[in-house]
Amino acid sequence: MNGNKSSEKTLSRREFLGLSALGLGISLAGARSASAAPPTASPDEVAILYDPVKCVGCRACQMACKRWNHLPSESTDPQGIYESPRDLSAITWNIIKLRRTEVGWHFFNYQCQHCTDAACVEVCPTGALSHDPLGFVALDRGKCNGCGYCTQFCPYGVPHLQVANPLTGEAKSAKCTFCQDRLWSGIGGPSCAEVCPVGALTWGKRGDLLEKARARVAELQAQGMNARIYGENEAGGLHRLSILLDDPEQYGLPSEPGTPAFARAWQRVIQPLGSVAFGATLAGILGAFLFVRRKIRMEEVR
Amino acid sequence: MTVQLKGRAEAITIQWIPKYTFMERLGHWIHTATFVPLAITGMILYFPFLQSLAQGEAGLFIRLVHRVAAVIFGLLPIVYFIFQPRRLLLNIREFLPNKDDIGWLKGAPAYYLLGKHEAMPPQGRFNAGEKMNGLVMIVAWVVFGITGVPMWFGKGVIPPEVFRWLVIFHDLAMIVSVCMFLIHLYLAVAHPLMWAGLVSMRFGVTSAEYAMEHHAKWYYGPKRAMEIWEAKKREAAQKGGH
Repeated sequence: MNGNKSSEKTLSRREFLGLSALGLGISLAGARSASAAPPTASPDEVAILYDPVKCVGCRACQMACKRWNHLPSESTDPQGIYESPRDLSAITWNIIKLRRTEVGWHFFNYQCQHCTDAACVEVCPTGALSHDPLGFVALDRGKCNGCGYCTQFCPYGVPHLQVANPLTGEAKSAKCTFCQDRLWSGIGGPSCAEVCPVGALTWGKRGDLLEKARARVAELQAQGMNARIYGENEAGGLHRLSILLDDPEQYGLPSEPGTPAFARAWQRVIQPLGSVAFGATLAGILGAFLFVRRKIRMEEVR
Repeated sequence: MTVQLKGRAEAITIQWIPKYTFMERLGHWIHTATFVPLAITGMILYFPFLQSLAQGEAGLFIRLVHRVAAVIFGLLPIVYFIFQPRRLLLNIREFLPNKDDIGWLKGAPAYYLLGKHEAMPPQGRFNAGEKMNGLVMIVAWVVFGITGVPMWFGKGVIPPEVFRWLVIFHDLAMIVSVCMFLIHLYLAVAHPLMWAGLVSMRFGVTSAEYAMEHHAKWYYGPKRAMEIWEAKKREAAQKGGH
């Protein structure tokens, strides 16, 4: 009787350990690798460079973007201001904004910044947003389910939902895709950069553009301007580089885009934590089930 | 109500006493029927390995299911309150912690794993485990509501900085409530001591003997329950002495 009991105990202990291992396995299978460091951009990837000093605000980029991507026009109320439309939207992926300073009028082109450490890619649950091997952030609208997380986590407020039905939530994310179809089919570069008549928007290898940008910044600094490059290291390196003549905040750009780190903490710490909790709970339940089955006789239960 | 079950050798008589009202049970099962689809459709967005189910048309469908279930899940306690306000408040009051919970926590391992009845001091209509389940579900319902409604209607209305935290808290409420649900499910369907739980949630009645054993303070009243328990402990100590 005694020996029988102890063998029962060791068996259940062994099973318990096995189940704990199973639970851990379930947890790890559900967890994404938390160790992955934020990615950095390579010089061979493609990028766009914007030089606001050359920009004349003709908005050819805006028109070329609409034409190539078959985006309908937007009815706007310009209210005597230059911008039209005022901001990016689901059907406007590229705009020229006007900034007035004491020195004068400055144009600035806004579009997706194509981050390397992109919060939108991190939070997208469908894989519709992804890093293209060429460097930009590609969007597969067929995979998108319209959850809209990308619209809330982008530090630049770029992706917008094209909502078909606000009640059911039927929607698709929309944003500048670097004219991914043009690049994939070898037609050429992004239409905004291809069309720009003054060379304010140019595209090419990121390494080459950075060199070009550095030379241009030196040139502008020699002319007494407070020039700098934006996008070299921000969010792991942007694939839309800009030359700024002031603090990024003056252009509505964050100096330190913080959401990629926030998104990573959510996806790679809190979500795996949940998987660990589910695994541990299931293992505990299975262990208790097998243990209790031996210890409690239904005949004795009232 | 008396039901006779005829076994091979002997007849067992079970005396049934009422435990849950029809509305309580209906509410419980509607809660289950919405919680489970909500958890499953939520998991599809949550687990990377279920990504293919979240994509495109399938993804739109699971999001729609989540929303339809969420409306029922959210309105249920409110509708229940309209039908049986006093009963709901009574249940909530009975979920609140008291001294009995400390005894339950101490006795739970020996009681639930080894079936040692003398380890468990008398409990009220809900024991500490049931209270935990009830409170977690109430808190989760509030958190799901506070975070879920703005996640549905608030995009572009509330600041993204706030939205990001809502998503995190929605996740945390899900993690805690799903773990609680799994334990609740096991105890309800597979734990031998808890056999009457599922019966009472289906038919509204529980065995009198089961109530004496598991909910003595509810069955006998606090004073009598303690007297009986003290006597049982003395008896067990005498037996152990032999």
